Amino acid sequence: MKKISSNPRSAVSTIAVVAIVVVIIVVAAVGAYAAVGMNKTSTVTSVVTSGTTATVSTTAVSSVTNTVTSSVTSSVTNTVTSSITNTVTSTASSTVSISLTSTLPSETVLETGSSLLYPLFNLWAPAFNAQYSTVKITPASSGSGTGQSSAETGTVQIGGSDPYLTNAIQLTYPYILNIPVAVSAQQVDYNVPGLAASIHLNFTGQVLAAIYNGSITTWNNAQIKALQSASVAASLPSTTIIPVVRSDSSGDTSLFTYFLSQTNPGWSATIGYGNTVNWPKVNGEQSGTGNGGMVTTCEQYSGCISYIGVSYLVSATTGTPALGYAYLANKAGNFVNISKVNIQSAVNAVAPSTPADERISLEYAAGATSYPIVNFEYAMVSRNQNVTGMALTLRTLLEWAISPQYGNSATYLNQVNFVPLPASVVQLDLAQINEITGP
Amino acid sequence: MTESNLATVTEVVMPWQDSRVKSNYRRRQILDKVMKVLALIAVVVVLFPLLDMLYLFAYKGLSVLSISILTETTSGGGTGSSTGGIENAIVGSCLLIGLSSLIAVPLGVFSGVYLAEFTSLHNKFAEAIRFISDVLAGVPSIVLGYVGFLAFVLYLHWGYSAMASAVTLSILMLPYIIRTTELSIRRVPDSIREGAIALGSTKSSMINRLTLRFALPGIITGVMLAVSISFSETAPLLYTADFNNYLPTALFHQPVGFLTYIVYVYSNLPYQSAHNLAYAASFVLLSFVFVVNLFARVVLKRFSKI
Amino acid sequence: MPKTPLTDQVYKYLTALLCCSAILFIFIIALVLIKYSYPSFAVWGLNFFTTTVWNPALNGNIIYKYGIAYMSGSSYGMLVFFFGTLASSGIAILLGVPTSLAIAIFLTQVAPRRIVAPISFLVELLAGIPSVVLGFWGLLVLGPFLLHSLEPAMSTYLGWIPLFSGHVYSYGFIASGLILALMIVPIVASISRDVMAQTPTELKEGAKALGSTNWEITRKVVLPYARTGIFGAVILGLGRALGETMAVAMVSGFAHYLPTSLYSAINTMAAEMALSLDGSFTDPSGMYVSALVELAVVLLVITMIVNVVARAFVKQGFVRSAEGVIRV
Repeated sequence: MKKISSNPRSAVSTIAVVAIVVVIIVVAAVGAYAAVGMNKTSTVTSVVTSGTTATVSTTAVSSVTNTVTSSVTSSVTNTVTSSITNTVTSTASSTVSISLTSTLPSETVLETGSSLLYPLFNLWAPAFNAQYSTVKITPASSGSGTGQSSAETGTVQIGGSDPYLTNAIQLTYPYILNIPVAVSAQQVDYNVPGLAASIHLNFTGQVLAAIYNGSITTWNNAQIKALQSASVAASLPSTTIIPVVRSDSSGDTSLFTYFLSQTNPGWSATIGYGNTVNWPKVNGEQSGTGNGGMVTTCEQYSGCISYIGVSYLVSATTGTPALGYAYLANKAGNFVNISKVNIQSAVNAVAPSTPADERISLEYAAGATSYPIVNFEYAMVSRNQNVTGMALTLRTLLEWAISPQYGNSATYLNQVNFVPLPASVVQLDLAQINEITGP
Repeated sequence: MTESNLATVTEVVMPWQDSRVKSNYRRRQILDKVMKVLALIAVVVVLFPLLDMLYLFAYKGLSVLSISILTETTSGGGTGSSTGGIENAIVGSCLLIGLSSLIAVPLGVFSGVYLAEFTSLHNKFAEAIRFISDVLAGVPSIVLGYVGFLAFVLYLHWGYSAMASAVTLSILMLPYIIRTTELSIRRVPDSIREGAIALGSTKSSMINRLTLRFALPGIITGVMLAVSISFSETAPLLYTADFNNYLPTALFHQPVGFLTYIVYVYSNLPYQSAHNLAYAASFVLLSFVFVVNLFARVVLKRFSKI
Repeated sequence: MPKTPLTDQVYKYLTALLCCSAILFIFIIALVLIKYSYPSFAVWGLNFFTTTVWNPALNGNIIYKYGIAYMSGSSYGMLVFFFGTLASSGIAILLGVPTSLAIAIFLTQVAPRRIVAPISFLVELLAGIPSVVLGFWGLLVLGPFLLHSLEPAMSTYLGWIPLFSGHVYSYGFIASGLILALMIVPIVASISRDVMAQTPTELKEGAKALGSTNWEITRKVVLPYARTGIFGAVILGLGRALGETMAVAMVSGFAHYLPTSLYSAINTMAAEMALSLDGSFTDPSGMYVSALVELAVVLLVITMIVNVVARAFVKQGFVRSAEGVIRV
């Protein structure tokens, strides 16, 4: 019997199969290599021009000199030296000026986290990209818990978070810096049928806690009525209250429950505060994902009450139906509006005692007109960056964000109803920002 | 015969004259008609949401669709200050299915070839592979997302990247391609194979030049359906690709935008511009699915030589 | 016998090697899931399956048990999610299976030949719709419809049944069940249709010859013949409903407690998993991540069992119809 000989063409097809297998193995190997060796070999030369204050020269990848001048009322001279040289001189003046580098390497910066910070960061990203076209920033709104978590695992560069890291978490992740980038606040919104949106109901922390633990179930409850003026109290309907909570790991939940804890020892002992809490069982309690979800959910259900970040105030009060927002009782016992002035007075009361790591709560501040739920919006950034050029990019981005000339200017902050950082906090920020190092 | 007996005989009734049979028959006919109507109602009840969905997203999608939406990236979009577009998401989705197909198609097709050509139906190894492939097909996509995140994004330090998503998606696609390839090849009649061997061809030559060519329509159908499935996936991509407001420029350490993210996230933002982007993304997704389904089921069937 | 040429042998072994990629992927999945879920299994044991409290207690202190760290005051119990998954899939089966069978009967017995193909195409198209788009439609159309039309009607007429009474909400039990039903209908309908179409014509003709109406043929001949395949199709649909994530996440309402009525919000395992993973790494003890991966393991085991059972019923010959449709 004739031997079946190999057809040369079949050899070609077999070689094709071999080639595909080899390609797959090579791709896998490349992937593993990229995983292990993450060094990008882009070189960075940045020339820093700093206007009138100082001259700087840059040579190679890892040495960049930044000069930042900040002026505060106290006269302190700080010099922080590392592989980056930064000189901070303060003189007696009332303005803060920050000079930035003029070019940055090509980078992709990821920001994720707080949905309260998201609208602001979403305004900053294209503006920063307009100034530094090589830097592409993608912000995302996923909740403060995700912001903290992602910054800690290193999957994003900036984690947006409303609350600062707790002690236990900071100890586990000591390389994370909590850098305030703006001052924001939180409102309590409600959808009460028959109540005009221009009327603002008064609420105390005690009544809010009673609502959220199910003790108060209808809008015409005596405790709620007692806080309002007579005419408003009379118009409160007997609709069931539907409290809305955040379903995701949320800094707004942290702010709200912290306020409830400060005003109710019972709440503080049993439920406490945090990005997620074990909410008491209330019949009919609904949830929303993200601040946006809170707005949509509250618009759907007549009788609902919710806690929403101030950056969504406009969309909440101009939606269909328009939600009303509350005047909250502050520490001094006055019912205050969520106006910029009141937020500012809360900041001014607490900011001087901000520690160096800037982990401080601005809530329930002293002062006759201080709004009770006010907070720093934090950018969680790791001290140690390992992508080439990222440290410089992040420092520039953060300095841009906190500078009253750029990110902290009224152009952006007014659109989200935030308030700029006080100069003393900016100085503390700069000190922290300088700790961000990398290749 | 007595007279009384005659009287009994004349009382016999034929079935179609018996009133009980007639009423029973009528009852059965009515029941039959009622069931027909119920079946029709079921079809209408199910098709109504489908058609409503297609109409809604076609209408809303087309009304916001413009050149700018297709050519801008989502930067700044979704907060009411600017509109942005979905170009980065479209490019990202295409990149992801391209990469995952590059991995899954060779693996799947050649696995199917092995199972169909070199093993009998009851071979132990073949049955094990088939079972494993069925198991893989049943893994919920969120569990695959978890595995992708923990293994590729974190453990291998690829970060949110196109590669991490592509490998995860290829795990998703693999079972379908293996199964359809094996079935298509098995359907090729043995007479073709016998003819090739009679002419002196080797097995590998026969497979590559003949069997695969005959099985190609079926294989392409399977691949296209797998592609359509992975184009529509969200859960595995949420944790492996995150999102990027710009066009992709790197395969590792750089997240990639994808269309389903826009629908998932932007539908929840309280801004009309965000909803518009979600409509546009839904429209693009539905169009893609529609075209792929049409092509795979209708057109390719005509070209099947079997 | 002539020796197999070298190219053939190489080809055979290479393709066999590529087959092993499936084994590799399963191995990776098993390895990752076991590694990350082990702490949660060890610390919580059976309580994980019986508690309704899911509280990560991230602000507490780290304490240890069997050398594994977790937060004091934390408690991970999946009962709410488990119930939500089963209940929403249950409603999906309850509503979806009769509808699917009706559609299959329509396509095989009732419809004129010309419209069978377009209607089949449309039904299978429903299977291909991305689940986020279905969820988006649920947000836009189904939710408001439930809130303003269907649920008030149900509450008015059926409110005397405890399950149907109570305040109405748009997202929750019913919305999830309806969306899932919409997702499993194409699967069950397509497979049932194929199975029913395989009924031997002699049987049907014989029944017709005896004077049966169309419905009687269906009920007495076709359905009993196709019983096994239909059962397999239902199980496959169930597997799909159990694993479905995105559409349910968008309309479930993310409850923390077991639902009290049909209108309450629910939470499913898949939806909770999709929501919480990226925020869970902030847990300094790592238990939050581990608990979520344990949820993944439970979900995987359940769907695997369901799918394996289904494959036993839906045999090789019917797999063809499942090819393009199944996305379990």
